[in-house]
Amino acid sequence: MTAPQLDDLDRQLIDILSKDARVSNRKIAADLGVTEGTVRGRIKRLQQDGLIAFTAITGFSLSNHAKLAFIGVQAEVGRVRDVARQIAEMPLVTGVMITMGQFNILAICVFDELENLVEQASDPILSISGVHHVETSIAVKTLKYNPRVVRITEKDRVIDNGD
Amino acid sequence: MTLDFVVDDIDRSIVDQLRINGRATNQQIADHLGLTATTVSSRIRRMEDANQLRVVAVSDFSAHGYNVLMEVAIEVDGRAASDVAADLAKFPEVFAAHVVTGRYDIDMLVVLRDFDELPGLLLDKFSQVAGIRSMMPTIAVDVIKYKFDVAPIEEQVPA
Repeated sequence: MTAPQLDDLDRQLIDILSKDARVSNRKIAADLGVTEGTVRGRIKRLQQDGLIAFTAITGFSLSNHAKLAFIGVQAEVGRVRDVARQIAEMPLVTGVMITMGQFNILAICVFDELENLVEQASDPILSISGVHHVETSIAVKTLKYNPRVVRITEKDRVIDNGD
Repeated sequence: MTLDFVVDDIDRSIVDQLRINGRATNQQIADHLGLTATTVSSRIRRMEDANQLRVVAVSDFSAHGYNVLMEVAIEVDGRAASDVAADLAKFPEVFAAHVVTGRYDIDMLVVLRDFDELPGLLLDKFSQVAGIRSMMPTIAVDVIKYKFDVAPIEEQVPA
């Protein structure tokens, strides 16, 4: 991966927007002493380069799936990409990485009831052709979690508000 | 966490719009849902004040110079797993730390700028934490999906 070239202004923008994305370009421009056009252009470029994306992060009152599980998958080496893509399509699966270690795929799932995790994730993964073994572990306590720094896998749609 | 916080369909539909475009104006959301901008604005503020919603820019690991992503599973010995995880969570390289069920006791997400940082992290930092029996690293070589938009939300920082 090539390291993106970010300057201080980019970093200041990311810092402001990671706290609250609903600040107007006008206010950001005034706070940073640049023009609105500069702010708009920079944000657009950061989005196009897949370095930032705007989203709503919600607490558990707004979610039906408040629990987290990690599923380690041992899949046939020649079919790892294909298996990983199939796992990524499953509704409870929020993260999929191809890995090197004791498993070659790590799937991260959110769920409500244990039964649903088994029926909608563990079992379907195990039924994929090329999967040899899965191991599920459930997060019982979260001590640290930073939802603001992520891997952006789909380029965010660039929407210009013109504000 | 506000456990008795109640949300209705209007709240959820506003959140859905914000997930599509977090920077949509209140008026744009209102037009789309057949509401008034005032309603949209007050609904968003109510959810934010209850620490149930943040509309933010998420940034890619690479924007922060992090190029190595690892899962590290920890086996704990002679100490409460929560205490070990709390100590490990203090290191900035540890992005997530959970106490888990299964063969290992703690699951962490660790990020590094490059592999040169690994010896220092393992030998000078993690090794100082009491109660670690073994560490099992798993290196992410490709991320296919990464969509975590439900999270414990921290208290609002006064502007």
